[in-house]
Amino acid sequence: MAEEILTDRVKEDLSALGEIEIVVGIPSYNDARTIGQVMQAAHAGLLKYFANRKAVIVNSDGGSKDGTVEAAKQTNLDNRSILFVDHPLYPVHHLTMPYHGLPGRGNAYRMFFRIAEEAKASALAVVDADLRTITPQWLDLLLRPVLDKGYDYVAPYYKRHKLDGAITSSIVYPLLRVLYGRRVRQPIGGEFGISNRLASRFRTRDVWGTDVAQYAIDIWMTTTAIAENYKVCQSYLGEKTHDTKDSGSDLGSMLAQVVGSVFSLMEAYDAVWRNVLGSLPAPLLGSPFEMGVEPVPINLERMLASYRQGVRDLQPVYQSIIATPQLKGLEAVAALPDGAFALSDDLWVAVIYDFALGYHRRVLDREHLMRVLTPLYWGWVASFTRQAQDQSAAQVEGRIEKLCLVFEQLKPYLINQWPLRGGKEESKP
Amino acid sequence: MKTFWEQAVLGPLRELGQQAVASLSSLMGIMILILLGLILGWLAKEITYRLLRALRFDRLCDRTGVGLVVERSGLARSSSYLAGQIVQGVIIFTALLAGLNALGTPLTRNLVERFFLYFPHLLAAFLVLVVGALISRFLGRSVLIAAVNANLPSARWLAGLTRFFVMVLTAVAALDELGISRTTIIVTFAILFGGVVAAAAIAVGLGTRELVREFLESQLRPKARPEVEDPMRHL
Repeated sequence: MAEEILTDRVKEDLSALGEIEIVVGIPSYNDARTIGQVMQAAHAGLLKYFANRKAVIVNSDGGSKDGTVEAAKQTNLDNRSILFVDHPLYPVHHLTMPYHGLPGRGNAYRMFFRIAEEAKASALAVVDADLRTITPQWLDLLLRPVLDKGYDYVAPYYKRHKLDGAITSSIVYPLLRVLYGRRVRQPIGGEFGISNRLASRFRTRDVWGTDVAQYAIDIWMTTTAIAENYKVCQSYLGEKTHDTKDSGSDLGSMLAQVVGSVFSLMEAYDAVWRNVLGSLPAPLLGSPFEMGVEPVPINLERMLASYRQGVRDLQPVYQSIIATPQLKGLEAVAALPDGAFALSDDLWVAVIYDFALGYHRRVLDREHLMRVLTPLYWGWVASFTRQAQDQSAAQVEGRIEKLCLVFEQLKPYLINQWPLRGGKEESKP
Repeated sequence: MKTFWEQAVLGPLRELGQQAVASLSSLMGIMILILLGLILGWLAKEITYRLLRALRFDRLCDRTGVGLVVERSGLARSSSYLAGQIVQGVIIFTALLAGLNALGTPLTRNLVERFFLYFPHLLAAFLVLVVGALISRFLGRSVLIAAVNANLPSARWLAGLTRFFVMVLTAVAALDELGISRTTIIVTFAILFGGVVAAAAIAVGLGTRELVREFLESQLRPKARPEVEDPMRHL
């Protein structure tokens, strides 16, 4: 039986509200500067687009120390449809900060799922409390596909700079696409809309005490929704900027948390992805429009230095993860002069697959394994940036599409090397 | 005359013969025990090797780093084969000790007794060495990865130093367990360790005066906005 996380007070408040159709969840942690604006946008969105549907806004706070809760309560809104709850935050959440800088985010989401279930709400939307660019329309874009079109999971689609989000565009998006056969361009967003049935499914899953729930809940939700064949779409939200907070999470930790979670989920769903060939786009709702986005600062020299040092100093470690042809390829790339530096798509994809296989086979301590990906990632970003710097956003998107096709072409390598369940193993690369 | 012949020549010769026969039977006993030990040892080695291979012991050793140590040392063709060889060695050695004990002389008995009293210390020292080697490898790798990711040019040197210190600590602990020149080892280690720490402190102090000054200044006079080391958005 699932553990009850709702207090009697929350249950009473929900019961007093009566029948509810929409729940909007806002998880917060030290967001005093922005939470008021986010709550007002959410409230305005509900009034403008769902005036005839009963809704509740739930703010779940993880123990903010900057007066976030007070700021949220002081927002000049109709407090009858706003619930304030808190989600547990254990000391361990402070030890390793998640990449998104919101400790206990998994617990907050679990709370929202439970509230949506208790209220028998048809749809739930979640938006981060640190957003600066949220508009009331976001609520419509996240909730309408669930309420009117029968979608179970609405992933966000943001307008971003062409070189922004390299982990997403060169590892996470291609991997999720090639593994589960659905193209969700931005699978790691803090905003989403989901149906009641998917919220119930999420809530009853046995992940809430694990690292995946604490550090990569977004990837877990997207993967689960796709792998378990829920109806998934994307909504175009425009540009997303959020309040800059020092998450304390370095690139190595970020890779370990994000890519490590994708690898970990590959183990859970290997029976699913082994049988997937090709991919289909997840419908994109909303109207993409041209707009200016913040430029991305690039330091190519530093990236190249990191890559070369990694290939040189971590060679003994790479030997236990990366197959010999790929390792030789990486060494050859490291020897190239700056002006000719290029890491081919084939090599990059094979290296990522070797890391997935190494993670699964536990050839090394998993934390170590994920962290040694950092210098190679810098090499890829440097190579990609050199090629994409002078290209238009559309051309860069085409370049990412080409990379994804290489991921798809080389998938048989991953399948052949992946040890079968029941102990029968394929040959080592 | 006959009595004299019996007492002076035949008696001692008979006694010598009896002693020779007794020694010969003891020697035969030793030979049989050693032969048994060799056969049993070989059998045990084969069984251990095959069993460990079936249980994928080599993979476990590869993951923990023991496999690489075995491979590089050239001790055996694999970790499971080395384990088989260790079992074989223990059985042969035990047979040898049993044989020596069977001789029944005070010297051999004393030797066997002292060995068995010392054996737990040997075992403990061996375990300390194995655990120390694993810890040194893990910590060395942690330092190497962290240093490379922080772009420190001396990453490999730092990792080597970490491994060296953990191994020195391990060796001291193992030798201490064996009771070998306990005081000398501890004093030597303290001098060595203290010397290296002092040298490192002086080196760091001289080499990073500017860095420390800048750090203190930045702490005491905070900037309006801290510099962002990695301003890219990766996700």
